[in-house]
Amino acid sequence: MDYILAAVVVLGAAALGAPVLQTAERRFRIGAYASMAALALAIVMVAANTVNGGISTVPYFGNLLVSDPLGDIFALVVLSVTLAVAVASFYSSPNGPNIPSYYSLLVFSALGMVLLSYSADLLMLFVAWELMSLPTYVLAGFDKKRVQSNEAAAKYAILGALSSAIILYAISLTYGVTGTTQISGVVARLALEPFNPLVSVAILLFVVGFGFKMSIVPFHMWVPDAYEGSPPAIATLFATATKKAGFVAAIRVVLVIATVYALAPNSVFTLANVLAVLAVITMTLGNVAALTQKSMTRLLAYSSIAQAGYILVGFSIFAYSQQTGAFAYNGLLGLTGSIFHVVNHAIMKGAAFLAAMVVLTQLKRGDLGAYNGLAKRMPITAFTLAVSFLALAGVPPLNGFWSKLLLFVSVINTPLAWVAVAAILNSAFSLGYYFWVIKRMYLDPGESTERVKEPLWSVVLFAVLVGLMIGIGLFPQQFISLASSAASSVIP
Amino acid sequence: MIPILSIVLFLPIVASVPAYLLLKRSRASGMWFTLGVTVVELLLAVYVFYFVYANFGGLSGSGTGQYALTEEYSWVSVASFGVNYLVGADGLSSPLVLATALLTVFAVIGSRRLIDKAEPAYYALILLFEGAIVGVFLSLDLVLFYFFWDLVMVPMFFLIGIWGGDRKTYAAMKFMIFIFTGSMILLLALMAAYMGVSPTTFDIPSLAGRIPAAVQYLPLLASFIGFGIKLPVFPLHSWLPDAYTQAPAPVAVLLAGVQSAMGGYGLIRISIGLFPEAAHQWAWAFMAVGAVTMFYGAGVAILSKNLKSMFAYTSLAGMGFVVFGSFSTMASGSIIGMQGAILEMFVHAFTAGSLFMLAGYIQKGLGTTDIPLMSGLQRLVPRGGLLLVFSCVGAMALPPFGSFVAEVLVIVGGIHATPYAAVTILVPVMIGGYMLWMIKRVVLSPPPAGASGVDIQAIDAGVLALYLVPLIVMMFFSVLVLGPAAPVVQHILQLVGH
Repeated sequence: MDYILAAVVVLGAAALGAPVLQTAERRFRIGAYASMAALALAIVMVAANTVNGGISTVPYFGNLLVSDPLGDIFALVVLSVTLAVAVASFYSSPNGPNIPSYYSLLVFSALGMVLLSYSADLLMLFVAWELMSLPTYVLAGFDKKRVQSNEAAAKYAILGALSSAIILYAISLTYGVTGTTQISGVVARLALEPFNPLVSVAILLFVVGFGFKMSIVPFHMWVPDAYEGSPPAIATLFATATKKAGFVAAIRVVLVIATVYALAPNSVFTLANVLAVLAVITMTLGNVAALTQKSMTRLLAYSSIAQAGYILVGFSIFAYSQQTGAFAYNGLLGLTGSIFHVVNHAIMKGAAFLAAMVVLTQLKRGDLGAYNGLAKRMPITAFTLAVSFLALAGVPPLNGFWSKLLLFVSVINTPLAWVAVAAILNSAFSLGYYFWVIKRMYLDPGESTERVKEPLWSVVLFAVLVGLMIGIGLFPQQFISLASSAASSVIP
Repeated sequence: MIPILSIVLFLPIVASVPAYLLLKRSRASGMWFTLGVTVVELLLAVYVFYFVYANFGGLSGSGTGQYALTEEYSWVSVASFGVNYLVGADGLSSPLVLATALLTVFAVIGSRRLIDKAEPAYYALILLFEGAIVGVFLSLDLVLFYFFWDLVMVPMFFLIGIWGGDRKTYAAMKFMIFIFTGSMILLLALMAAYMGVSPTTFDIPSLAGRIPAAVQYLPLLASFIGFGIKLPVFPLHSWLPDAYTQAPAPVAVLLAGVQSAMGGYGLIRISIGLFPEAAHQWAWAFMAVGAVTMFYGAGVAILSKNLKSMFAYTSLAGMGFVVFGSFSTMASGSIIGMQGAILEMFVHAFTAGSLFMLAGYIQKGLGTTDIPLMSGLQRLVPRGGLLLVFSCVGAMALPPFGSFVAEVLVIVGGIHATPYAAVTILVPVMIGGYMLWMIKRVVLSPPPAGASGVDIQAIDAGVLALYLVPLIVMMFFSVLVLGPAAPVVQHILQLVGH
């Protein structure tokens, strides 16, 4: 667990140090290098924490943090994504204004996400949440001369602040009932607590607050606009990192409380049903809306919303199994699938967003028409996008297949089987727009067949991401095993 | 011990990469390499077929539902979830593997003349497709099975979409949407099978006979829809005419010949093999679907104005035979129907294959496959005309072609289930009728004045004649397929207490 603190120190130093280096006017690249080095170092430290088993469910650092596999997985995901985003930003716009603050904000946000992943206390969780969110409000509006970027930032900041307020209110309610902000203490208290409507309200408020970041319907309104308006690298960060932070927060708080406390006694209004309905609405609306989009970023945004729906499937069966005491096996399997899908989604969506970003910067167009005949013009980018879309649709031998299999199989023989049917039909439906883009890239003629330059950094990143998608697809054992141990560590 | 099945499975998949690189460098050497790989694959498939025949052959099979040459490795194993790499061959899969390998060799030879753009990617995709299909036939773990099942459609999408005819994009998208929807519905059934037993397993041999009858019905229906789209059967077939007619001829050969056999294979191995009680209860409904498909395919083929679409609907009728025969066994308890269905899948690969390949050559030689525009084939494309007559006789299921044996077995199997099934004898009659009519109009008619055509070269005609060899062999030595198939069918029947 000392590794985590070391990672926090490294990230904090880089975040504070990057803007300081701004004074040396000609050396402003040092800030970027320092940030990337710090992120890489933090990844190594978290990985060391995973391997060297600083694993215990006992909180430390003043009972604020807990070093468990769940935190490790999410910290690894968010740090890797942030590093990829930093690399992409560094090479795609090396000489923009305020570059050092850009990297500083990026690392601050990463620091917030790492702390969030390991939070064991509601206040720690809230502080980490804000540390993650505040820099991203600025980053969303970083193209300050572009109106869409300003609009994205404003919309995102207002809804983000609203969600923070809702979370804070839920925390205050929880504290009022239980007298503690320690999550394990809250759980221990609630286990003895008879039904109390205030707690149910708090749970629902947590779902809403985290739901904004998780981009579940109906709290998804900001997503397409913010993704489209933000600088493309930052959109990647939103879709693959801050969104994941919403999921880890939901697991740490909502699902853990669900192990001991039911939303309402003896009624259909259970947490499992609420989550299941949200899951189905989210995936359906995401997929239907994605089909009608004309711009790639918006398509990816809605597809990202749909994927959040799949992840919720595992949450709902976990809540169901914990509250009824039946189907314990399914609950664990579902949560394993959710955590694994979070990892996979970061890889798949990261690849898709970065590919879209390369197309946007090279062709100066982001509408779907720009993708016609892309296979001839930018073969590596087109291939990456095609592989990531196949993975998102859940086609083997790619990683998305396994996590979807785990998610769907976990509900198939339970009273929530209708969710599996809805999810399956959604998956089939989603292929419509995924393959529509693949069709444009490979089958339709483009406006020219001239080769467009694909930057070296993107080729390297794409090779890594495609390798991960195929590699995990063929040999998922280690990843499923890690996700499985993370899922088991949730049950107190 | 040599992992022979894994070699059969991964040889084409692994070879697709060097094939691509070699073809980029030099057309000739790359093609020889591709052909060499498919021939080696064929020899391996012959060995597997022979091994299964030698061990489970004979009409008095032991009926234990055994698999030969099995290999098993743990793939994913965590506390709550286990998937194995489990492959094996039996009397159901070995003939289909052989048909796939043989047909791929033919398709690769045919592609030499019929495909002239982006060849490196084309041959790589063909090899990938072959490996994936073989994977479907050999997998004995549901996840592994689904893995290859889905993998098949990706190369096929590009093969239709890039190398196809005028409406290739439309056909490719329609194909993809149908097939993937079917796959997802199939996945529901596979997951239900996994969760249906305790402890849970994806292992097909250990699932068979263990899933409680009460939870078999919905999975049976879901899997039937999944496989029915691939076969296809009547209400789920609307992607078929587009895909079969728009695909380039060698790809249509693989589509009609082996991809449809995947559906039939899955129907017997999974729909019937894992959910036998439900299949027994609902056999009548599925027999009806099969019979409707037979009549519908033959009926629409009569009206077809295009050679390829006529062949596509003929192929659809052939798949009706597979469904009808398989479920007649579940209704009657007599093994003949399902044996006939397995033989029908094998011979259909070659009847459909030869028809579609010929259509490709005729299109190249004459410039069209529209029946009203074609005439005088015996003068303009003499070798093509002759071969077309023979292939049509094969498709009509007349002796000396093995399709005769298969269709007789299926119809007799149907009569075992109900005497009214005798009405299906009209289907071969209809097929014979429109095929003869087509031959009269296309082959035997006088050519239009001033028309010219390019005949098929002797060597290609020789290869096309080879399609007929397995058919003739199956007429006289049908025991090669029927023998090893018997224990498979008997094992399934034992599960429902016959």
